[in-house]
Amino acid sequence: MENIETKLREEAKRLLLEKKADVIIGYEKGTLPLTATPCFITKPEEADKLVWNNLCTQNLAKFVHDLITQHKNSQKRVKPEDRKKKVVGVVARGCTTRSLIIHLQERQYGREDICILGVPCDGYVDGKGLKGKIGGADIIDGVIEGGQIKMKTSDGDKTVALKEVLADCCVTCRFNNPIISDVLIGSPAPPMNPEAEYDDVTAFESKPIEERWAYFIKEMEKCMRCNACRQACPSCYCPICFVEQSQPQWVGIGEDATDTQVFQLMRLYHMVGRCVDCGSCVSVCPMGVDLRKFLKKIDKDCFEFFGNRAGSGMEDMPPLGKFDEHHDKGDFVYNP
Amino acid sequence: MEKRLIKKDALAGIAKKMAGDLLVWAPVKKEDNVLFAPLGAGDEPFLAYLNTKNAPKNVFFPHTETLMKFTRTPKGMEFSSEVNKADQSVLFGVRPCDAHSFVLLDKLFDQEKYKDGYYIDKRKNTTVISLACVKPPYTSCFCTSVDGEPVSADGADILLTDIGGDYLVEFVTEKGEKLAQYFGETKADAAADAKKAEAAAKVKEAIASKIPAHEIKPILDVNFDNPFWNTIHGKCLACGTCTYLCPTCHCFDISDEVKGSDGVRLRSWDSCMFPLFTKETSGHNPRSSQKERWRQRAMHKFKYYVDMFDAIACVGCGRCVMSCPVNIDIRKIVADISKL
Repeated sequence: MENIETKLREEAKRLLLEKKADVIIGYEKGTLPLTATPCFITKPEEADKLVWNNLCTQNLAKFVHDLITQHKNSQKRVKPEDRKKKVVGVVARGCTTRSLIIHLQERQYGREDICILGVPCDGYVDGKGLKGKIGGADIIDGVIEGGQIKMKTSDGDKTVALKEVLADCCVTCRFNNPIISDVLIGSPAPPMNPEAEYDDVTAFESKPIEERWAYFIKEMEKCMRCNACRQACPSCYCPICFVEQSQPQWVGIGEDATDTQVFQLMRLYHMVGRCVDCGSCVSVCPMGVDLRKFLKKIDKDCFEFFGNRAGSGMEDMPPLGKFDEHHDKGDFVYNP
Repeated sequence: MEKRLIKKDALAGIAKKMAGDLLVWAPVKKEDNVLFAPLGAGDEPFLAYLNTKNAPKNVFFPHTETLMKFTRTPKGMEFSSEVNKADQSVLFGVRPCDAHSFVLLDKLFDQEKYKDGYYIDKRKNTTVISLACVKPPYTSCFCTSVDGEPVSADGADILLTDIGGDYLVEFVTEKGEKLAQYFGETKADAAADAKKAEAAAKVKEAIASKIPAHEIKPILDVNFDNPFWNTIHGKCLACGTCTYLCPTCHCFDISDEVKGSDGVRLRSWDSCMFPLFTKETSGHNPRSSQKERWRQRAMHKFKYYVDMFDAIACVGCGRCVMSCPVNIDIRKIVADISKL
């Protein structure tokens, strides 16, 4: 990864110097051991902060949408001829480019508003999984070397194989290389194991309905409504989420179990053809809710019924975005 | 007050016994999380924890609580209060940082001018049993920078300290002494005190993470408009993880939920990180971006609370540091402010 990191820094520096991007969203080293955190580089000399490794977790497309929306709002009251252009550069792995494609398909911004620094990806570490592997011990220091995570912990020295603690979404990732990019850094990463993509869901589907519902209830009981999942999701960009609308109020503000379930169910259904399985919602959830099980089920249905994989190509429009008035005249549309 | 000794392996049994008689909140392992939760009859607490994921504040200040109920009748509205309904309970195995948070929350909910009956009722009926940290649970712990100590009876009714083979049991308050029957008959001697003092000094020394929490107060006083505030919020997701897990964050929202002619008035946690937190009916939002919201969080903890109650509203537990999805580290923010 060292080599990719060096090239990434060089390219970021060049894009900023040549004014091809006004800001580059990437990752820098975090303040805790074995973490990386999103960062915003605006000066060429800061590009050396950028890192690219198995600790880069968040889907940065979320921040692309945020920055462009903020910029657009700031230009609303400026005369058209005086409006400034802003190009947002982003370090993007496969899933991040899928989210960018969704934004483009949903016309959130134009292709010219973004500059994609594509990077190959061989998966990121699931922080909660790693903690579990070492029995909840506190990580004092750590490095990733040769496929091993070597750690000094409150429980003594520990070593864990990297592939054992990769996030679930990474292990079976189908698109671990960028789908679209302006600058492609490094050579493509070897494929992960997409054949096993729906194994979990298939096993879940075979369970009786009562058991599946019980699992949903159990998982939702953990939720404390902090909204981290929604906030981290690149596809959750509504200016006002239905949860926060007050006229009408769709969902109560309290801890009532049905309110939590409705919030999560509605969010899940808003993800049809829009979830790229980046795992951001899962990784940010402080309580460890298994959101992926349900998102993946919806993703599977979307593929099996409509042949669509969210954000897998600019031409592959999401099923809810390509109503065809000549052919989609199913009775259910008019006589539900 | 009295001091006793109990064998180390007797502790879980004591909690279990208490849970037979009283409502006992204790650390419980639920899948990958260790949480404060009520112990079921026959359940043992999970004692091999560093600290719990959630702060114990929800015992006194639950995520959602009913303030009152109302019913529309032909004769008009009928109201019923939900105050003074707390059970006698025990909060078992609280780390000293979290127990310190109760002292801070008391300053707000139980002050001379304003008294919050809901909080006070639960607080009054709950005995807090602290379990001292004889080694720092996490490298990100910084209690010693915010007027705390890893071995401290602050906020506790009973303090338990691991002194090798035994726990030294100190009954700190009268409320604590009422539970003395559960802790055997072995009186502690002066040697136990010496061992405790030694352990306390050692662990205090071992807290390596330090922040200039007191030093930044005068800086915050005059830097409301400093451009520094533009630099911390960029990656903030505006989720409520930090505030919901924080032992001292206490902001809440109140709403009425009505079904037919019956309704309840609920109080729920709110978060200064949420855009809706300060949004006014007109649509105007005085804290229009995450910048203002972050400034509020830092100011509230290290300036406003100090102005109002002469105490920093942070106990150094490190939950926000460890659980922030994007690694916004309050320790770094405080350190950066000190350099302004």
